[in-house]
Amino acid sequence: MSELLLGAVAYTPNVVTIWEGMRGYFAHTEAPIDFVLFSNYGRQVDALLAGAIDIAWNTNLAWVRTVLQTNGHCRALAMRDTDTVFQTVIVARAGSRIDGLTGLWGRRLALGSKDSAQAAILPVYYLREAGLAADEVELVRIDSDVGKHGDTGRSEFDALRAVLDDRADAAALGINTWEAIGREELMPGAFEAVWSSPTYSHCNFTVLPALASERTDPWLKQLFAMDWNNTTHRKILELEGLRAWVPPELDGYQSLFAAVQQQGISIRW
Amino acid sequence: MVSPSVLLNLAEAVAAAPQHGLIRVPVRGEDPIQLRQMIMAWCERTGNEFVEVDSWSVAVRRGRRADPLADIAPEQVPGTRLWLYTNFDCNLSCDYCCVLSSPRTDRRALGVDRVRQLAVEAVAAGVSELILTGGEPFLLPDLAELVAACTRALPTTLLTNGMLFHGRRLETLKAMDRDRLTLQISLDSATSETHDQHRGKGSWQRAVDGIRTAQTLGFTVKVAATLPADQAHTVEALQAFLDLIGVARRHQVIRAVAHQGAAEDGLELTLESLIPEVTITADGVYWHPVAAADPDQFVTADIFPLATAIAEVRKRYALQLARANESAQWFPCA
Repeated sequence: MSELLLGAVAYTPNVVTIWEGMRGYFAHTEAPIDFVLFSNYGRQVDALLAGAIDIAWNTNLAWVRTVLQTNGHCRALAMRDTDTVFQTVIVARAGSRIDGLTGLWGRRLALGSKDSAQAAILPVYYLREAGLAADEVELVRIDSDVGKHGDTGRSEFDALRAVLDDRADAAALGINTWEAIGREELMPGAFEAVWSSPTYSHCNFTVLPALASERTDPWLKQLFAMDWNNTTHRKILELEGLRAWVPPELDGYQSLFAAVQQQGISIRW
Repeated sequence: MVSPSVLLNLAEAVAAAPQHGLIRVPVRGEDPIQLRQMIMAWCERTGNEFVEVDSWSVAVRRGRRADPLADIAPEQVPGTRLWLYTNFDCNLSCDYCCVLSSPRTDRRALGVDRVRQLAVEAVAAGVSELILTGGEPFLLPDLAELVAACTRALPTTLLTNGMLFHGRRLETLKAMDRDRLTLQISLDSATSETHDQHRGKGSWQRAVDGIRTAQTLGFTVKVAATLPADQAHTVEALQAFLDLIGVARRHQVIRAVAHQGAAEDGLELTLESLIPEVTITADGVYWHPVAAADPDQFVTADIFPLATAIAEVRKRYALQLARANESAQWFPCA
């Protein structure tokens, strides 16, 4: 059987290691793969829609855009366990007395890249949901690495620096960035989380209807068989940030669909 | 308090680095103790490897490299076998003795109490075999008790020149546990000339007699030969002789002279070139039994807890392997 061609965005050098590892894992199965790396998610979704790749490893925003561009004629195959419980965290200087989203009234909130669901699009959505109008919270936008949907985390680190430099009162982060600096625990007195969002879904493997289940089912069977307790598998899983691949939780995208509609986010970046 | 910027800079740099890549982030004016504590805690929490903190920078490695000891043969993992120098005095003065043993050498005995405790702790520490050496162990008046403490705990090998199996010492030998004890007797050549040249006149015949005595008593007997470089051509003759007297090939140990102790030349064996075999003496823990008189290969004066001593040797060996691997990456051909 011919290889399935998988697309991923190259946001760190480790992406090469991850997908070479995945290719090696699938090589001796009934569902071998090869991969293509893209410089940004816009290009990747274009390639999926053009039939140049079979499967796209998409962010949540790339998924939403694929759904919108295909009128819903696409499928999510699987996601990381960590993708089912993603969150946005609002972080301020310790002792800020900001309590929850409404505590941001009249304050400055640093946002990450404009195409980052976790650090820009969803935070604005949650502000509106909390009843805060556009002129009630000053948004300090830090648009770095646009096109990578916040994967690099760079804009979120810059948002935290804005808080340290008193250019903002709080910053919006993905839970992964908050974990990466050890939450409040390693730097007591520096930062505190003042609000955490409900969980939502993040990345998934996206395919178009042209790719039949006869092709995807054997591949999914092998994907779900990756085992954290297998040291070879574990090296790949650790780098990609998961313990297990799981079926997609599509309800977890509802907030982002609503946010994209609410904010008039363009269909492609 | 350490500036939060340090951790932000570090976390961002690590996120952009390749797996196992070394990241160095500059710092200025930070308290080195607090900084070190924070970076070590961060590494522990995030699954990265702490490298170092100095006045100007913080260095970490992305991810954790595999345990270097995982790739070596199980029998070569330090602490799989435990060597005990029971004493350093000897009835011989071999001219290549790696620990300078002789009749004039201080005994420096480990003693029954320490050997008993070591044997018990060895079991708990995962040691699979004890090896007793000297000096000549049969000079010790309490050897029977000492060997019994070892064989009760683990399979044991006792190294001897085999020359003292007479009278009271023969009775001591007869009382030892044949099922749990192997005797390893030194014999360097198929004829007396070379052996006696290095070990003393008449020693070859007495060693051969000792081998026969031990075999007759039903012990498993290994024979170890130490060959100077100019005697390498005698290996086949020695093997044939050992075959003849009933020493199986798997029990024939033939090695070169090491440039240690009394030896004026021989193989240069350093920390870097020796796979460690945890070795306990009355003075403390050494890297390898062949270097138990070499200050460069002294590990620690703390014999107990034994598991800690073994862990220290493993840690140093793992670091050495990791450095060697790193050097290979840092010094390519061009």
